Amino acid sequence: MTRNVRSDALHAAVRSFAAGDRSRSFEELALDIAAFQAEFSPGFARLLAREQNPLKAVECIPGVPCDAFRMARVAVHPESEDRARFLTSGTTGGARGVHAMRTLDTYRALALGFGRAALLAVPGPRHVVALAPELDAPASSSLGQMMAMFMVDFEERGDFEVRTAARWLMADASVDVAGLARAALRAQEREESLLVLATSFALVALLDALEGRALPLPTSTVVMQTGGFKGKTREVEASTLRARVAAAFGIAQAQIVSEYGMTELTSQLYEATVPGTALQSQLQGAPGVYYEPAWLRVLSVDPVTLLPVAAGEVGIARVIDLGNVDSAVAVQTQDRVRRVAGGVELLGRAPGAPQRGCSLAVEEFMTGHR
Amino acid sequence: MSNSDARRARLEPLLVSARKIADPHSELGQTARRRLQASSGLSAAGVELALTRCLETAPSEAEIESLIRSTPSAQVAHVLLSANVFVAAHRAIAIALAASERVQVRASRREPDMAELLSSGAPNSFQLVSELTPHAGDRVWAYGRDSTLQDIAVTLPPGVAFHGHGSGFGVGVIHGPLSEQALAELVPRLAEDIVLFDQRGCLSPRVLLVEAGPELARDVARAIALELEHAERAVPRGHMTDQELAEVTTYCASASFSGAVFAAGLGFVSTSERWLLPPVGRNLHVQATDDATQAWSALRPMITSCAFAGSAARRHALEGSLRGARLCDFGRMQSPPFDGPVDLRDL
Repeated sequence: MTRNVRSDALHAAVRSFAAGDRSRSFEELALDIAAFQAEFSPGFARLLAREQNPLKAVECIPGVPCDAFRMARVAVHPESEDRARFLTSGTTGGARGVHAMRTLDTYRALALGFGRAALLAVPGPRHVVALAPELDAPASSSLGQMMAMFMVDFEERGDFEVRTAARWLMADASVDVAGLARAALRAQEREESLLVLATSFALVALLDALEGRALPLPTSTVVMQTGGFKGKTREVEASTLRARVAAAFGIAQAQIVSEYGMTELTSQLYEATVPGTALQSQLQGAPGVYYEPAWLRVLSVDPVTLLPVAAGEVGIARVIDLGNVDSAVAVQTQDRVRRVAGGVELLGRAPGAPQRGCSLAVEEFMTGHR
Repeated sequence: MSNSDARRARLEPLLVSARKIADPHSELGQTARRRLQASSGLSAAGVELALTRCLETAPSEAEIESLIRSTPSAQVAHVLLSANVFVAAHRAIAIALAASERVQVRASRREPDMAELLSSGAPNSFQLVSELTPHAGDRVWAYGRDSTLQDIAVTLPPGVAFHGHGSGFGVGVIHGPLSEQALAELVPRLAEDIVLFDQRGCLSPRVLLVEAGPELARDVARAIALELEHAERAVPRGHMTDQELAEVTTYCASASFSGAVFAAGLGFVSTSERWLLPPVGRNLHVQATDDATQAWSALRPMITSCAFAGSAARRHALEGSLRGARLCDFGRMQSPPFDGPVDLRDL
């Protein structure tokens, strides 16, 4: 079979798995994808060559570090076949990583599938806006791409142009407060539920702009917050931000749900807090605990040995994402995690080594998340 | 006594103190070795190598003259030391002594040893203090992370001059083909530049740019890896923290994905088309490039030192594009002239 035929078959199998087909297990699919990538990705083959039993079990698949996306092309296919190229944020040295995708079909199926389960609480008409900069063309932000997909798919009005100022309520690091108020009014008048997709940074900027004033949104509003504060002006602790946003919008804290995603991944994790969502009904998750979809698994590994740590211990996340058929099925992040019952606690990025001497620290050199 | 003579006289006790520290037979030298090994994390041989090669005990007349000439005077000279490579304290205090007869030094809380050792060998030269309180007319020389320096600069009272020296890294450049003999001479020198301070100095080379094609780059990478392997036996790498080791693990995996990685003692040497800064701990990235200045363009402000081997014309051209960084021969990166701060960048 040619590379693309195999790739297409694996993509189809992953989408089928995500849709509930369990004729092939997660482990089988992960190992099949890893074997496929070993054949067509010389970089991954070199990583495997360092391991003793690399494809014996899912836990043995070496993770491709996020930095590798900055240093090399992480894809089994040539650039000419790229359907999308999502860029990571830059470093001091200017290097930006690229997650190249040969098809967006799997990304769409997986992101929408789990997004619906985590975010859609009430049936009926819905309006979706983003506290994020307008999606560029072609899309270079995986987060922006996902937000655009949510707008079209969750409103269920057929295809429409998402690149309008009324949808993307952030520009030059400031939030369009009036635009959000208009979106709220529109939702109220049309009896639609409102879904606000926001970066954490944007929510902080919004609260700053409100200066303590309230901006009441329909009580059924759900807010999806994502991303950290790296490189931004200041950080706000997650629970504090959640409480302040809920108070400003006049909604329950449970309706503010955090998402975890990375440019280097195809799939996302969510908290299971929003009442009425499929995920919450199934898991009744607490804030701060993120849940994986069936097609993704987070392993907590030791940052020095990269071996799995004991249950309940803090390690760094290696993410096995079946959606990454054409890039890296296992991605090694620097995010600290702890496995808890059924989910994962995210504990922030592993800190860089404290400087001992005046040599430029790796952490000073690097920036970036999604 | 002229002003210049007075400045020179203030330096002499410090140099005497440094000589005692460098002397393994002196009481102070023995104390220094014990304390510095504990605080720096370097191996005993690593401390010895640093004291032997990098502590300036006998600067030339020309260097002293240059140090004095390039240092502005101050009512009081304040020195804020970071947990820097330990020999840096000597140079920092020397600069302050060239500036003023009243010198106050706040040592790093984490690594105060070298400042205390120098003080005990030159008891009346400068004052060790727990806090600096500069006033108008004073000067502050501060060493540390760029972000820390920026924080300090904005909190100083009006009329206080500030000299900040931040973090950085060194690069090596090889231009054109090298004879076998030239390569054989260069490799151990570069290895020593890497081994010193286990690469924690702001002059330490982390990247080698080879303007001579990928084959030579690969050959050089292999040769340096082998040399670092030998160096590991003679001067073992010191203690690395878990976080430092984690950075090495991650970088090594990324480098393996993107190119070739050669084991080099406890460190590694990598080669690939694109690069990120390797972590400290005797790790080097070797990259073939047509033009080193293009390869480092985005990182240029962070480069403090560049070792060069190649034609005089190319060296001259690099000098022009490396203002603020020290250009030297391989094997001399960690022992710049004692003529002022090692970091010549204007932060």
